[in-house]
Amino acid sequence: MITRQLGMRLLAFAALVALIGLAFWSQSAAFASGGNLRSLMRHMSVQGLAALGLTFVIVVRHFDLSFPGVASMGAMTLGWLIAAGMPLPVAIGGGLAVGLAFGLVNGFAIARLGLPDIVTTIATGGLAIGFSYFYSNGTSISQNFFMSGILDLNDRKILGLDMPFAILMGTALMGAILLHASRLGAGFYATGENPVSARFSGVPTRLLIVLAFALSGMMACLAITLLVASSGAANVTAGNQLLMPAFAAVYLGAALFGRPSIGATLAGTLLMSMMLNGFTLLAIPYYYSDAIVSTVLITAIAIFDPRVSALLRGAVRRKGASA
Amino acid sequence: MAEGTRTVLDMRGIEKRFGDVKALDNVGFDLIAGEIHALLGVNGAGKSTLIKILSGVYTKDEGRITIGGKVFDLGSPRAAIEAGIAVVQQHPELVGDLSGAENIFLGHESSRRGLFSRIDRSDLATRANALLARFPIDVDLSRRVADMPAVDREIVAILHALRLENARILILDEPTSTLTEREKASLFSMMRMLKAAGIAIIYITHRLEEVYEIADRFTVFRGGRNVACHTVTEARTTGMSIPNLMLGTGGGLTFPPRCSRINGDAVLEVSGLSCDGMFRDVTFTARKGEILGIFGLVGSGVDELSKALFGVFRPDRGEMRLHGRPVSLRSPAQALRSGIFLVPGDRRTEGLTLNENVIFNTTVANLGRASFGGLLRFGANRRNARALAEKVDLQPMRLDRSLRGFSGGNQQKVVIAKGLYRQAKVYIFVEPTVGVDIGARSKIYALMREISQDAAVIVISSDCDEVHGVADRTLALYKGAPVGGADRDMSRDHLLHAGIMGGIAA
Repeated sequence: MITRQLGMRLLAFAALVALIGLAFWSQSAAFASGGNLRSLMRHMSVQGLAALGLTFVIVVRHFDLSFPGVASMGAMTLGWLIAAGMPLPVAIGGGLAVGLAFGLVNGFAIARLGLPDIVTTIATGGLAIGFSYFYSNGTSISQNFFMSGILDLNDRKILGLDMPFAILMGTALMGAILLHASRLGAGFYATGENPVSARFSGVPTRLLIVLAFALSGMMACLAITLLVASSGAANVTAGNQLLMPAFAAVYLGAALFGRPSIGATLAGTLLMSMMLNGFTLLAIPYYYSDAIVSTVLITAIAIFDPRVSALLRGAVRRKGASA
Repeated sequence: MAEGTRTVLDMRGIEKRFGDVKALDNVGFDLIAGEIHALLGVNGAGKSTLIKILSGVYTKDEGRITIGGKVFDLGSPRAAIEAGIAVVQQHPELVGDLSGAENIFLGHESSRRGLFSRIDRSDLATRANALLARFPIDVDLSRRVADMPAVDREIVAILHALRLENARILILDEPTSTLTEREKASLFSMMRMLKAAGIAIIYITHRLEEVYEIADRFTVFRGGRNVACHTVTEARTTGMSIPNLMLGTGGGLTFPPRCSRINGDAVLEVSGLSCDGMFRDVTFTARKGEILGIFGLVGSGVDELSKALFGVFRPDRGEMRLHGRPVSLRSPAQALRSGIFLVPGDRRTEGLTLNENVIFNTTVANLGRASFGGLLRFGANRRNARALAEKVDLQPMRLDRSLRGFSGGNQQKVVIAKGLYRQAKVYIFVEPTVGVDIGARSKIYALMREISQDAAVIVISSDCDEVHGVADRTLALYKGAPVGGADRDMSRDHLLHAGIMGGIAA
């Protein structure tokens, strides 16, 4: 019965992909071109990594609004280290360390000190944006980029896949093992569903909340590393475009598959990226596509909310009964 | 029908099916004005289906409902309210920040004209006073509901249900489950007053002693049928066994035999344990092979004591020894590692992940055992969950079903299964049978006895008969202080007196 339900959900997802795909393809044949599909996957890689990190925070029923700011600071740290002539692994590690540090601060403030998550992460995110201006007074950094090899992260291929997409898939695989096949994963879900009963069962709930925020910060910085690699410069506003698509992807996936999970987030990211890519292709101004993404987000939240979905089911049932 | 007939509710030939299952099978039920009518039955017997039909949540498939001589369809909650049926849910939803009166008339406040006009508070008070004039109860409705004791909240919920003039049938679903003995007494006096005012009350409870105390008649449901309806006087004089009627077998609520071998190895020794403002100077020894009972009313400190023993609260003074070694617990995780398992008093908020299935819940209780190299052992975890579910006799045996789909008794069995998976040395059961039907109760008591073969078992409860019936040795906690040493076996009356009055009766 469970597998049948999953089958139905997969079918609904495939139908949505087909619907959106056909809609854009009918408007512009270029949508299905190899070049465009590759750029879609590249876009999906950046958004997907940020959304994957956020998934852990949503599973433990918290919110992280800091990751776009943290990602900007990660980008500037990465750019500054490259410009300073550091070897690439050190520079990337430095960027990820920013995400880790902010994630730990968020987690400590929320899980240990009990501060409210939304306000805390807005504040730490703002702090990170402030710090990201320190390196260059806000101008973008691109010195040494050609020599450093960072561009290879965008341009090279691995196993026939574009590097960014390969990184997304590899990270998703590790994330899936962590969240769905490890003892920590069961702890994440137990913490989110009922923190008291989780604690009474011996689950280290606070540690897991800290870990979730740390993963969110680090993955946002990994996402921004790919973005920096593709644009060839580090920018103080780099992270701004991550917030809404990441939330929309997590909630859309959760609405489609019944709960937040790695697979659900990937599915949500694919749908979001298809839409954003399609709008770009049709030359629809970005502010309209922002509005559409926001609409998708609020719809997904409504469907994911158990009360609203019960209401929808009830309406459908009543309609069916009266027919 | 003529006025003067005292029957307010007459249900005949009621049928309700859910798929292939007949939840109600040709059921009749009647109610007389001004009576308290207890509705009894184990979980799944059909009593909540009947109540949901009466309150308009479910629609009946067959049958006829007559209220006050008129036939009603009761297709919706609104129709039920209009027919004069007032329902108080088991856990009434009240707004803590509003006063009692505001809660009663919530959504029906009278305001001066206009969308943004202020609520007319003097009118609210007038209406509240009018309601209190109809039903004279000693309660201060101007207090914030959050500041009220549990029984006053229950009274507010009842008044909310009865706020409409035409209400004549009141349904109370296990209202005493969160009340102390003294609060229960004041609820009962309110029920008697409502009865005198002509309200007919349907009273759902799992506690049979309450039936004798408060009800005039009782109806027993079993397997979707009405199997018996008697007056309480009848039941008293004939000495019929209500548990037998509920279970349909010879056996009623039976406690397992006591242990024969006393003085097993001391597992947990507690001396002079105190938590300021909660309990003080608690001393006892829990031994392997026996069950130690601690009786205490809500507010006596028993729940806090159980949590201190489990590392949730840190005691201010006193000592705990496990197998002779002193331990100082800083967290539940550490208590679990030391071999202490708590079956908490509120399984829904403290014991279970309700949205997850049986396998998840047992697995989470011991993630170390459920994983290898950090990765979950899916096959082994399913096998373990099955073995545990069989051991605790889970009904139905559906490992993939979310815990919300199980009755209270079976949810409690899953908590016990978690404990078994932990293989602890000390098991602390707090209020183990609240909201548990009588069939599952016997099983839970039997499990406790079985667990005590290999571990020390402590049962902490506000149900004196439960503590007395299941434990080998008992003590009581009264206002945070222990009464009676655990090394003597108190009689039931002694124990009751100790827990309620704080002294040993002569």
